[in-house]
Amino acid sequence: MALNPDKIDAAFYEELRRHYTDEEIVELGAFIGFNIGYHTFFGTLKFYPMFAPDGRLVSQEESARIYGAAPVSLAAPQLTK
Amino acid sequence: MTYIEPLKSEDIHDPDLQELIRRGAALGVPDALFSRILARAPVHAKALLRALLHSHYEGSVDHRLKEIIRVQLARTAGDPYFGGLRSARARQAGLDEDRIGAGSGKFEQDPRFTAAEKWALRYAREMYLNPERIDAAFYAEGKRHYSEAQIMELGAFIAFHYGMQAFARTLGMRPHLRRAQ
Repeated sequence: MALNPDKIDAAFYEELRRHYTDEEIVELGAFIGFNIGYHTFFGTLKFYPMFAPDGRLVSQEESARIYGAAPVSLAAPQLTK
Repeated sequence: MTYIEPLKSEDIHDPDLQELIRRGAALGVPDALFSRILARAPVHAKALLRALLHSHYEGSVDHRLKEIIRVQLARTAGDPYFGGLRSARARQAGLDEDRIGAGSGKFEQDPRFTAAEKWALRYAREMYLNPERIDAAFYAEGKRHYSEAQIMELGAFIAFHYGMQAFARTLGMRPHLRRAQ
């Protein structure tokens, strides 16, 4: 939806229906759309999580150092290796 | 034919959802097609329709400006459904197709738009095409035209409508009714 919306066609929805009800597909689609919209907006506002991964309350400057250049979410796949 | 079959109106029994669908149809955005597809997930449908309607015509930013932005965003998202819908309220307030089209074009040089309107139109355009351009200086410029509350209202409106348009694009929808000229 975010990168290649043209790939989401009738066949794609047919495949989805093998796994989910129409209610669940609408729920998923709306959730994904909502997140596509809001994460880009949030990204322009330059704010970061209040807490470090170890649970410490941190300043926005420290949080930017933790999450800004190399976000934990992007590092996660390496952690699972 | 949409990829997810909309619920029939007679199968929607929740009065709050019925009212939200009616309000959307009266405004023209969204028409009943998107609402009846959302109604497949009724709890989500109520929250999303309420937010769509509220962000579009409540608040302190001119609804006509938001309507121009909404169409510009739909064009960015490549969504013919929301791009084809028009707000009846904005039209009644004097917004015409020429001005809507100008908002998706070279509005920076267009004397019909104020400096504040040009900033808001740039905010929407850059948000999804060049988000790295929306920096501290960009927000500082915005604060010369709008209060922080208005900037949040605009940002949330842009993010929410773009997100729904990204979803709508994948559903194979077109506007339900022909637009009045």
